[in-house]
Amino acid sequence: MTATASWRRLERRLPILLLLAFVLIFFAFLLAPIVFVVLVSFGDSEIIAFPVTSYSLRWYHRLLEYRPLLDSLWFSLKLAGASAVLAALFGVPAALALARSRSGLADLVSTVLLAPLSIPMILLGIALLYKLSAIGLGISFTSLLIAHTVVSIPYVVRTVVAVYRGIGRNYEEAAAILGASRRQTFTYVTLPLIGSGIFSGMLFAVLISLDNLSLSLFFGSAQTNTLPVVMLSYLQNQFDPAIAAIGTVQMIIALVALLLIERTVGLKFMSSPS
Amino acid sequence: MTAAAATAIRRSRRALGAGLWPVLPAMIFLLLFFLLPLAENGLQSLYVPDAAGEPVFSLDYYVRLFTDGYYLGVLGRTIWVSLLATIICILIGYPVAFFMVRHAGRWNGLMIFLLVAPLLTSIIMRTFGWNVILARNGVLNSTLMSLGLIERPLRLLQDPSAVIIGLVHVLVPFMVISIAAVLKGIDTRLEEAAELLGASRWRTFREITLPLSLDGIATGAIVVFMLANGSFLTMLLLGGGSVVTLPLLIYQQFLLVQNLGFAAAMGNVLLVLAVISLFLQLRLIRRDGGAS
Amino acid sequence: MTQATLKAQSSVTAGEPGLRLRDVRKSFGSVAALQPTSFDVPAGTLCSLLGPSGCGKTTTLRIVAGFELPDAGQVLIRGEDRTYDPPQRRKLGMVFQNYSLFPHMTVAQNVAFGLRMARVNRAETEARTRRMLDIVHLPQHADRYPHQLSGGQQQRVALARSLVTEPSMLLLDEPLGALDKNLREQMQFEIRQLQREIGITTLLVTHDQEEALTMSDMIVVMDRGRILQAGSPTEVYEHPRTRFVSEFLGTSNIIACTVAGVEGGGLRLRLPGDAGSGFFVADAPARPAGSTALVAIRPEHLRIAPATQAGADEPRATVSGHVFRGAAHVFQLKRPGLDRPLMAYRQITGPVGETVLPVGAEVGLSWLPGTARLLEDEPVREGAA
Repeated sequence: MTATASWRRLERRLPILLLLAFVLIFFAFLLAPIVFVVLVSFGDSEIIAFPVTSYSLRWYHRLLEYRPLLDSLWFSLKLAGASAVLAALFGVPAALALARSRSGLADLVSTVLLAPLSIPMILLGIALLYKLSAIGLGISFTSLLIAHTVVSIPYVVRTVVAVYRGIGRNYEEAAAILGASRRQTFTYVTLPLIGSGIFSGMLFAVLISLDNLSLSLFFGSAQTNTLPVVMLSYLQNQFDPAIAAIGTVQMIIALVALLLIERTVGLKFMSSPS
Repeated sequence: MTAAAATAIRRSRRALGAGLWPVLPAMIFLLLFFLLPLAENGLQSLYVPDAAGEPVFSLDYYVRLFTDGYYLGVLGRTIWVSLLATIICILIGYPVAFFMVRHAGRWNGLMIFLLVAPLLTSIIMRTFGWNVILARNGVLNSTLMSLGLIERPLRLLQDPSAVIIGLVHVLVPFMVISIAAVLKGIDTRLEEAAELLGASRWRTFREITLPLSLDGIATGAIVVFMLANGSFLTMLLLGGGSVVTLPLLIYQQFLLVQNLGFAAAMGNVLLVLAVISLFLQLRLIRRDGGAS
Repeated sequence: MTQATLKAQSSVTAGEPGLRLRDVRKSFGSVAALQPTSFDVPAGTLCSLLGPSGCGKTTTLRIVAGFELPDAGQVLIRGEDRTYDPPQRRKLGMVFQNYSLFPHMTVAQNVAFGLRMARVNRAETEARTRRMLDIVHLPQHADRYPHQLSGGQQQRVALARSLVTEPSMLLLDEPLGALDKNLREQMQFEIRQLQREIGITTLLVTHDQEEALTMSDMIVVMDRGRILQAGSPTEVYEHPRTRFVSEFLGTSNIIACTVAGVEGGGLRLRLPGDAGSGFFVADAPARPAGSTALVAIRPEHLRIAPATQAGADEPRATVSGHVFRGAAHVFQLKRPGLDRPLMAYRQITGPVGETVLPVGAEVGLSWLPGTARLLEDEPVREGAA
């Protein structure tokens, strides 16, 4: 290759190289806060300062001493799990019916089922606090469960509808013609095919629930404090790396869950329902 | 029973099976714990306690929201901050989405993972991360000082720009994913055709790619705008009172003043913004459905 | 059980057609997908439903399968009324357009599925699955998943899955559409051979006329929800009744001729602009002289000769185009009075370099008696193929 040829080659590729540089900066921007929080969580100093000079696990020990953070994490996990299961119980049958419906009513129904995604959480929190107090549930695990289920249903419905539509009618028709009853078709064909969709819908719901501050804020009490509520109040009173430690723990839990899912059903549905 | 009657019954049973009844439990649940509470909340905001503390029907809260200069300012700032965050997300997100779809190749999976990964972390953690970076003795200031670029730490927190950075950081993945989804659907042969017809790469982008990906931008913009409108944590933790928006005000009304009626009224204004966005989104989806 | 016993199992009560449709009708909303339609498929034969998309062939198949209910009419399979039976109870085998192999099951599990549903015991299920995989030449792929197979292999698995239950009928929904040309031709033969060996009544839906001609005992040509013509492949190809059938099955020169007169059970016709004695079409119903009659001549039947060697009575045309197509030369011919050019094939017998008629040459046209077919009038269609 002559010098001019390689120069012209570079010239043609220049826009892409510039774009690549931009993308790298973008991901640095996206990941920087997370990386620094993790670094801080392993720091040894009382105050948050950079660069981190010595590393230790003292802030993780602090988590064990100051119970509210870990307790609320456990509470949040239970709440998220329970609301995802409830949302699946409500959402999966609805999603299956919607995905195959030719009825004009289906549009309206799916608008309602997906609407909780588009309502400011803080408003939903206030409204539900009124309502649930009025019917005597007040500030309780049940109230939180109801509130989180309302928000989880759309995630399950959206994912399952997308996956179920994606697999089309043919597999079920093939099963029917091979003599499978409706129930057998559902058990042996439909459910295995949409299983990953249900799973990732529920996972989405769990992740959203774990991080849902705006909704949980209104139902906070000594017994019903979710992790984000406790983190926020901690952050407003102290500014030490314990918060970084608990955040890191939560992230590790999510990552492990994700890895498990990747091993079992695969992640391909995580990115598709956008 | 005649054969015809049996046939008719069999037919109707099969027709019913294709029905929508499985949506009922979910619909009833959402009716009770979503639509009804929102409606009641709407009513609540129309009752203001009188001198004796008895609630009477009144538009007082709304009058206050839309005439008082302070509240008008808050409303305007809510929309302005969300708009600004949305525009920045488009400007940053588009090139990234473009690269992801057209040039990432086998790195595409990794990029999707890196985009989604922040969603696995607590929003409080991410916001706290910006605190760590932007604080007086934070990463940015110490780096700049050790490079000798500044002598004294800059004041970066408690500032509107910190709020915008925080918002964009949280919301830009949604924009990238929306735009990438649409870009993926564009036939690259259209672009090749344009280039063979003599269009420069820039013109091809401007006249072919960009117009065809407007739907993705619009979808992403609506999602980002809507989410920005409803967030208060970023304002609370990074703004330090310098950026008061509706959700933050609701939070304060609820926690400090305990004025639920007024909080409900502000919530409803926020709801109107959300419903407008939702309506726009539905129109967009319908149009997509009609075109395909 | 060997293939011979498979055959014996599915042999049919004598006399009953394998499939009978009686005045079956279906509309979706205001769109009539299927006009009242009746036809019989003799037991043990393969019948193709052939037509362009939207002609009603798929609707017909889905009604036979039980996925759609007809608005009226009856579906009889081996003499039994199955019109309102759900698909599960019809005991059919079906190969879907994209095979619809269950992606989460292995090849063996896919094939065994129907037997499992019928609660056949495990040992027999395994034995029959294995035998079926042998028949389709895939015994070594039993434990693979569908996505690990090639298109042709998937096709064979789908076929095995649909036949292992010894169904009373086989439905094939564009089964070869996803394969490339060579494989498609090979599979056409394989499927046909298997179908004949087992002797199973088969309904094939296709839009590919070549596939229909190769594989069928009987072709039902459909368009816009109606049957236009049904008959054996040679019958439908050689004696198309309408212009649509003639053009859908292969290429055809359709010429609007003038009736010169009635002649002993046939008609004497003249090409437009021809003043000569014209030509004779036998077995044609009488028509008034001077009226127009549509005639179809296949390009392979149209003979052309240089004008110098042609008979004086032969109508003339000018060569307006020529392409070489491997097995034949294809000529495009122009003739005053015809709005569309005529096509003529000339089989290549000698070396490829043989002299061809140059563009612009004048030629004489002729054809053997009996190869020009009189078509029935049909209503004017928009956008006819």
